[in-house]
Amino acid sequence: MLVLLFIIFAGMAVGCAIAVVAQRNPLYSAISLIGVFISLACLYVTLAAPFIAAVQVIVYAGAIMVLVVFVIMLLNVEQEDRRRPRMAFLVPAAVGMAAVLIAEVAFILSSVQLSANTPTQNISDVGLTSSIGTGLFTTYLLPFEITSILLLMAIVGAMTLARQAKMLSPRARVVPGAQVLALNVIDPRVPLDDTKAIHVHTTTEVEKVLGIEHDHDSAQRD
Amino acid sequence: MDWQPIIDIALKFLAITIAFTVVLLIVAYTVLAERRVLGLIQGRLGPNRVGFGGSLQPFADLLKFILKEDIVPDKSTRFVYFLAPVIATMAALMTMIVYPFGPDVNLPFLHTTHLVIARFDVALLYVLGVTSVGVYGIALAGWSSNNKYSLMGGLRSSAQMISYELALGLSLIGVILQAGTLDLQRIVELQSRWHGAGWFLFWLQPLGFIIYLVSAIAETNRVPFDLPEAETELVAGFHTEYSAMKFALFFLAEYINMFTVSMLATTLFLGGWNVPFAEDIFGRGTVLFGLVSVIGFLVKVCFFLFLYIWLRGTLPRFRFDQLMNFGWKFLLPLALVNIFITATLVFLNVL
Repeated sequence: MLVLLFIIFAGMAVGCAIAVVAQRNPLYSAISLIGVFISLACLYVTLAAPFIAAVQVIVYAGAIMVLVVFVIMLLNVEQEDRRRPRMAFLVPAAVGMAAVLIAEVAFILSSVQLSANTPTQNISDVGLTSSIGTGLFTTYLLPFEITSILLLMAIVGAMTLARQAKMLSPRARVVPGAQVLALNVIDPRVPLDDTKAIHVHTTTEVEKVLGIEHDHDSAQRD
Repeated sequence: MDWQPIIDIALKFLAITIAFTVVLLIVAYTVLAERRVLGLIQGRLGPNRVGFGGSLQPFADLLKFILKEDIVPDKSTRFVYFLAPVIATMAALMTMIVYPFGPDVNLPFLHTTHLVIARFDVALLYVLGVTSVGVYGIALAGWSSNNKYSLMGGLRSSAQMISYELALGLSLIGVILQAGTLDLQRIVELQSRWHGAGWFLFWLQPLGFIIYLVSAIAETNRVPFDLPEAETELVAGFHTEYSAMKFALFFLAEYINMFTVSMLATTLFLGGWNVPFAEDIFGRGTVLFGLVSVIGFLVKVCFFLFLYIWLRGTLPRFRFDQLMNFGWKFLLPLALVNIFITATLVFLNVL
């Protein structure tokens, strides 16, 4: 039963992973990547690690990939045209390396002796929520805290980089629709400063003001 | 041959079928109730012609949805356009299996039965995970329709759901801290003290309850957080281009989501199936006790559904920047404060 489930979900994972690189439309690639994450989560469940599985779905499928899909949708990334590979000499090299890799795996599978003492059949509690929590907050507290500081730095860095765009005054804001307005136009309590309202009438003009170059004729999807 | 596993599997399938049918019926009648109650609030009648007092209206609506022409926009991304309502409905339906709707009962001819379809260690995280996948249904629907109103609606909706998911998840942590488990059945059993009135997560988590309620309304895109469907700005938001049964699927997904967040609120904050003094009167494990508990559970869930409709008839809509500010600058810090207080009290063994 477990073997059957493994074959199903591993097949799904591999199929989706191939689709990620094979698809020409970036959004299809993103959807396939979500498929990979969900199949991996299913594999974790069969490996008696339900907590990891749930976190995999919540963090990767539910949060990170949503942002990726967002970016693809907002930038309207074009379908990649089929073009001649620039470094064509890499193709035979890749094939050769893949062959070596497969040969290695085959060698390991065929020649390495299976260990005589099979793992015990006891149901492990390593993947359960409480054991993970206990581990994180006792034995591995320092790495855990360092990781959280790293994540905090990433957030602060992203905000700093985003703020550095000096296209508009930091007080200016884009109202969804078609207008770029200074804050004091919207909110009378804000003191007047040198920012002025930039009058635009269409989304195209907003794009021009914001410096987003966009080819509208090719923007339509298939 | 040992028939026990086959009987167990058959019983599970039966339970899933019954649960899905009951939930879909309740959802159908929630739509009717919404229209009638809104009519009441606005001083008019609402649909009352089909069947007695409009009781067959949901089926008339369904028939109409099935018979309508299914229009697919010419420049839509065909595959994703079909996929989106499927994802939305599936994610909504999948969370339903983990909620315990009754206590353990000794049914005739069977051993002791747990009135829950699937019970596992990380049920609460499972709910959060599946709900977060549901965002794709809306985002992809907005994108694949190739319509700017749909795209705006989809983007707004996903941004809103991601933002409020944080506050929602954090508001649950207080409950988890007190219960010490993610297993929903166990959390409900912990609330059985004080003769079944010890909905301690409700008494001891008032702040968490309010945060959960507000963010749950935002998660389900209901008034006053229904910006994705703000008809004055966006026609109908992400489902502008959807017609016939595909539109019905989105509609269904929204109402099932309403139902599931109500079930989660009931389970975590209102004591689940605990009815005060029911166990003292009927005795543990009897069928009557089970029945009373299930009815109690449904009554609590229906209270939340009524609350949704009531809010829709009462409150105006937020503006988008107000919505974002409220979520990120008010609810999120408040949820963190709630966690901090709860953790301190649990650490000091007060709770």
